[in-house]
Amino acid sequence: MSSAKIEFRDLSKHYKDVLAVSNFSAQVQSGRVTGFLGPNGAGKSTALRCLLGLVTPTNGSALINGGGYSQLEDPIRKVGAVLDSRGFHPGLTAKQNLKVMASATDINFSRIDEVLELVDLAGTASKRTKGFSLGMKQRLSLAIAMLGDPEILILDEPANGLDPLGIVWLREFLQKLAGEGRTILVSSHQLAEMQNTVNDVLIINKGVLVARGSIKEICQGGSLEEAFLELTFKK
Amino acid sequence: MSQLLQSELRKLTYLRANWLLLLWSGLFAALGTVAPIMILNSDENRLSGGFSGTSTPEGINAVFANAASGYLFALILGILIMTNEYRHGTAVGTFLVTPKRSTVLLAKLMAASMAGLVVQLFSFLMAITSGFIALTFFEPHAPVAAELLFKVFRAAAISGLVLGIVGVGIGALIRNQIAAVTGAVIWTLIVEGLVVAFVDSIGKYLPAGAITGLVDVDFGKNDFNFSIDNYLTPGPATLVLLGYAALFSLIAMRTTLRRDLD
Repeated sequence: MSSAKIEFRDLSKHYKDVLAVSNFSAQVQSGRVTGFLGPNGAGKSTALRCLLGLVTPTNGSALINGGGYSQLEDPIRKVGAVLDSRGFHPGLTAKQNLKVMASATDINFSRIDEVLELVDLAGTASKRTKGFSLGMKQRLSLAIAMLGDPEILILDEPANGLDPLGIVWLREFLQKLAGEGRTILVSSHQLAEMQNTVNDVLIINKGVLVARGSIKEICQGGSLEEAFLELTFKK
Repeated sequence: MSQLLQSELRKLTYLRANWLLLLWSGLFAALGTVAPIMILNSDENRLSGGFSGTSTPEGINAVFANAASGYLFALILGILIMTNEYRHGTAVGTFLVTPKRSTVLLAKLMAASMAGLVVQLFSFLMAITSGFIALTFFEPHAPVAAELLFKVFRAAAISGLVLGIVGVGIGALIRNQIAAVTGAVIWTLIVEGLVVAFVDSIGKYLPAGAITGLVDVDFGKNDFNFSIDNYLTPGPATLVLLGYAALFSLIAMRTTLRRDLD
């Protein structure tokens, strides 16, 4: 798992007249948890979607292990992603949603029970997801991301909608995954939580990278929230 | 590809709504044969000298030609296969597992075609069975020729295979599920029906017109001045339908391959 790496090279994305991401360059080192921070509309989600091949960059590139996402062989085993709390059909049960994903590749169905156990959803595996709370949906999204036991995890606002108990659970979950040496890139607004979880930080504002470094370098003895506000709103 | 197709078929079979749609297709097609039997044998129709009753081969033809009418549901199922991905956000997961979108599209087109075939075979069976049961109330009736059933079966099967694909193309073009389904229903039940009935020079090239040509059954002279001679013969009609399948496959490919998934 030590060779995993994510790289943005001069990434730019325009939507008609809107510049979502501008010449964004950064690296995410393997085996580390990197927080991807920025105000709403800063370009985080767009950059992550470019990385996952869902959005075509206007210029530049976003690479995983040195290549584009679409060039990965069996990508679900290399990269797991949570982009929003949707991504599964409300008319299907949690287990059926996972079976649909697993059967598209050669993942054994026994793995489904493992990931449901991992995210504490084993008890609700046979319930239709339309009745799921936002927190349960986030857990199911994480289960889908973990289905291929990937070495890289890309998580966009995984704490959205989680109650305090859920946030604690997510922190422990990410710390456990990080402890296994996985590379994790996580965007979040939960700055206090991020400070306890991440090794490195990327801060983006108005599509432009404004800071990068280890958590210690960014915080300089203060809190991540203070550093974030200083780097985004006061500039 | 077989894994992807299996995944698509799982999506189809797991969803209760799809089974309900299949049931509706059967009821719709059954109504298509039962209602004409009731109307043709009604006193008003007999006394007014309108359509032939089911005691004549023309009347039987008019009844059983409708047994291929469930194709609207094959079209709707194709639309749902595509639009469900955008409506529920599952397109992201689908394309993360298989980033080569053309492969995903191909699996969807195959699944939709198979599903369309199942819909049409089921609705054909429902229509034929209901028609035979309804005819027992109006004995004696003209015999139902095996050739007639074969022609309608052929039309049902081909239209099912094709319209599932057309549905995926429509769904790729119009990602809003309600708009796509509503538009398809209005087009099929109203616009296309009127064009096929009254402007057959154009109508025979539309899907419903081509299916009518493929059914290749004449009702004899009647109030609507319908004559199968105004439609394409089964060979060209099949080619027209395959042309629609190719066109809408191309539309599905081009729109899905290029779009950003925001």
